[in-house]
Amino acid sequence: MGRPRAFDETEVIRAAAELFASRAYDGVSVDDLVTTLGVHRNSLYKVFGSKRGLYLAALRWYLAERVSPVLAELRTTADPAAGLQALLTSDRDDLDLLILAVVERAPADQEVADLVAGVLREVDAAVARALPAEAIAPALTATILGLRLRARAGGTAPDAGTVLLHHIQSSGT
Amino acid sequence: MAQVGIDGATLVVEIEGMDKLWALKSRLEIPLANVRGATADPGVISESKGIRTAGTHMPGVITAGTFRVDGERIFWDVRDPAKAVVIELRDERYARLIVQVDDPRTTVGAIERAIHA
Repeated sequence: MGRPRAFDETEVIRAAAELFASRAYDGVSVDDLVTTLGVHRNSLYKVFGSKRGLYLAALRWYLAERVSPVLAELRTTADPAAGLQALLTSDRDDLDLLILAVVERAPADQEVADLVAGVLREVDAAVARALPAEAIAPALTATILGLRLRARAGGTAPDAGTVLLHHIQSSGT
Repeated sequence: MAQVGIDGATLVVEIEGMDKLWALKSRLEIPLANVRGATADPGVISESKGIRTAGTHMPGVITAGTFRVDGERIFWDVRDPAKAVVIELRDERYARLIVQVDDPRTTVGAIERAIHA
């Protein structure tokens, strides 16, 4: 059965998620993975099967460990409006891999498409709690993701999200 | 160079031309159920090849045939590392195949789609 695994699998997956969140999928070579993760190439193939196998493991880890807590907070907070506002104005990077996956891998990989579609529905549901009408939720989700994208492109996210939220809430539609 | 294709539920790797001689093998057939994934990996050429058990190893020119490293058997057929694809297997004679193909991106996509269909 070969040698036992000489590395912490979760730690490797976490580091891979950071790498994949920072750069396009095609821009991450196996050399990059081997160097950054400090894992032997043969072990990488033996454990994950392929670069895609490692990417999927990293994406699942990221959705569970980085994205899910944000959603859980929004789902359970006593003040959903404040929670949503915090999400709209946050400059954190805890949605980066989700955004990249949506743009880049989902159109090319059905398994990624299914994963991110499920999470986006969860975002919609969590966001809807703070809104007068559930139908607007996907638009607010899009705003959250779009503002994060703009933050990635440099500068800070403007307070447009907050203004939009106040408009929606005061109009009550 | 190798032609990698999918025939029903089987991955077929056909070694082309003179490489058949260097690799001492002309064709491999692997059930798709035993294929774990495929990756374009130009850097794999710098890996230690281990011990050659059958075939040819002229560094910088050709790596072809059966090599053994870390207790695993690996099949190589690579002249141009830029076009190397690593195909990871399970429950097979070879732990992985490292072969040169014409279009790595297309080959990787076809294998990944076939095994996850």
